[in-house]
Amino acid sequence: MGLEDQLQENVMTTKVDEMVGWARKNSLWPMPFGTACCAIELMATLASRFDLARFGAEAIRFSPRQSDLLIVSGRVSIKMMPVLKKIYDQMPEPKWVISMGACASSGGVFNTYTLVQGVDQYIPVDVYIPGCPPRPENVIQALMKIQEKVAQAKAN
Amino acid sequence: MENQEDRETEDVGGPESEPGPVTTRIRARFGDASVSTGNAVGCESVIAERDALLPFMTFLRDDPELSFGYLVDVTAVDRLPLDQEIRFAVVYQLYSYKHNRRFSVSVPVPEADPRIGSVVSVWPGANWLEREVYDMYGIVFEGHPDLRRILMPDDFGSYPLRKDYPLHGKGERDNFVF
Repeated sequence: MGLEDQLQENVMTTKVDEMVGWARKNSLWPMPFGTACCAIELMATLASRFDLARFGAEAIRFSPRQSDLLIVSGRVSIKMMPVLKKIYDQMPEPKWVISMGACASSGGVFNTYTLVQGVDQYIPVDVYIPGCPPRPENVIQALMKIQEKVAQAKAN
Repeated sequence: MENQEDRETEDVGGPESEPGPVTTRIRARFGDASVSTGNAVGCESVIAERDALLPFMTFLRDDPELSFGYLVDVTAVDRLPLDQEIRFAVVYQLYSYKHNRRFSVSVPVPEADPRIGSVVSVWPGANWLEREVYDMYGIVFEGHPDLRRILMPDDFGSYPLRKDYPLHGKGERDNFVF
């Protein structure tokens, strides 16, 4: 006469970490930091043809305080880097970062005096996307990689 | 095709060529010696003195036969290492809606004294254009209402479009603090 008998198949037992991870990974709220052509591809990823909503990440927030996934898509100059750092700092924990495209990841072809040669020098990056710019498929794969990582994270 | 032939026979010579309508007008007002002029690919140009720049520019704007009411762009040239003495030239691109005519004014500026008068009082649109030239070349526009850097960070120490500035910078991109 256990509890399971009374409730029968209406309950499922799991671990808190797995439950929270499952919920988090299917409800990512991205914060787009679009400074160049990568942002155009990011928009295409969100639009109907590729439809990022299928992965539960359609709620693009332009406020960092409501987001848990920062997508850096484009060049970041030394004048813009403090802005990006501030946005990253304003995002509540837990948070993840995608560095989208060659410029955000390494400076790309802009090996010049004013461009940060990879945003990972100043903020931690979880997934890098190669490409110039990457196609929406690459962005989707990066989001799925993030989902794997989110699912493994501890609940608190 | 007819147009193309016209263009080929059109005068595309340098300063030696026949003076155009703008040049003629300027010479009538300031005299032959005041300016040296050019007429390349159908666009007249002039090399002006920086000391009398403001009256000259005001004349270009207000004279009814010229009416250059639109300042298209202000930029600069760094002639290093061709000309060490007079290293820079500030270039003004003008356009007249009234006469559908373009004109170019080049003003030499020496490196030892990189100053030039601001033309914001003549064309208010010069404000940001002159700030960009100041930002990139370090040429100071006297009389400018708000001469600050416009593209680079305020504490950026160099003038990046100068020819002696290295492409990868002087370490600014690795050593900036925030």
